[in-house]
Amino acid sequence: MNLPVSASTQFDPAAADQMETIISDLGRMYQERNEALQEVARAHHEALFLLALAAEYKDDDTGVHIVRIGFLAEAMATFLGQPRAYAQLLRKAAPMHDIGKIGIPDSVLKKPGGFTQEERQIMNTHATIGADILGKSRIALFQMASEVALTHHERWDGKGYPAGTSGDAIPLSGRITTVVDFYDALTMDRVYRRAFSHETALNMMAAERGKAFDPDIVDCFMRHSEEMLALRLDLTARQATFTDLVHSDQKTK
Amino acid sequence: MTHRILIVEDHADIRRLIHMTLEFENYEIHEAANADDGLVAIREFRPHLVLLDVMMPGSMDGLELCRIIKSDPSLGMPWVVLLTARGQSQDIEAGMKAGADTYLLKPFSPLKLIETIHSLDSLSKE
Repeated sequence: MNLPVSASTQFDPAAADQMETIISDLGRMYQERNEALQEVARAHHEALFLLALAAEYKDDDTGVHIVRIGFLAEAMATFLGQPRAYAQLLRKAAPMHDIGKIGIPDSVLKKPGGFTQEERQIMNTHATIGADILGKSRIALFQMASEVALTHHERWDGKGYPAGTSGDAIPLSGRITTVVDFYDALTMDRVYRRAFSHETALNMMAAERGKAFDPDIVDCFMRHSEEMLALRLDLTARQATFTDLVHSDQKTK
Repeated sequence: MTHRILIVEDHADIRRLIHMTLEFENYEIHEAANADDGLVAIREFRPHLVLLDVMMPGSMDGLELCRIIKSDPSLGMPWVVLLTARGQSQDIEAGMKAGADTYLLKPFSPLKLIETIHSLDSLSKE
């Protein structure tokens, strides 16, 4: 578009040039600042994931399981109608739910077979240990991860641990994570058993509707079970990593 | 998301400075030098957001264009950010009555401008 130029609306040319130069510098600093902020956020996430990996090494699998839990939890949150920002935060927070296992002695954690009542009690402290470790941070991501760690073994019927909270009193993040953790754990091979089929896992999940699990979340999972299956298979096939967990925000923008 | 932004401002140098500031982000930017050209540009470019100067020469001023933008759904209902001179508080009141979403005082802060656009974005449905 050709714009009419009148002398009355012109700055002194030298001053205008100088202003443009300053704006251009400001633009560069703005970009650099944004990159630095992103780098800080990335550092937060990586710290969290490395911590999770430490806990995972003490347990028995490769870390793909906990990465899958992140993506499955994000998908569930989205299907449940949660805002995108919440779902993305949960994607990064949910994989940290078992971080407290760092604090469990190997003699208990790696014990083959069943636990004595005392060992079971020690094992159950991983929820509060994880919440304590993560809760020391004021970063939103760690705060949510702390909430998930604390509540991912609570049950809808109030018979879970550590607090025995029931129903909606259990944070949504914990209620979602417990369902997707259950599903993913069943559908993967373990040292002591082969993976259950998708259908068997769904039946086992349905049996816990309103008992261990929030009925709304189970219903929503059933409605979207094909999508959840496809997502799990895709994540496994491409060996999704922690880096994918951190960087997936950009793709959805 | 705000992708297309129209600047309606009669002062060529101010327009240029706003344009450069918006280039901090990836926006498609168009310019108009008065309200009449602005209305034509809105029909042509379908902006998501209009940065609108209040005091401009021509058959209508920024307030009148703002009223047209906000009363004619066929113009795509873009966000309107008024650019008003400091000390013209009656402009602000009249602007908000004319349906403007928010305003910035001149001389505008480049970072405030970017932040204002971001905050309007976050109110958008998607």
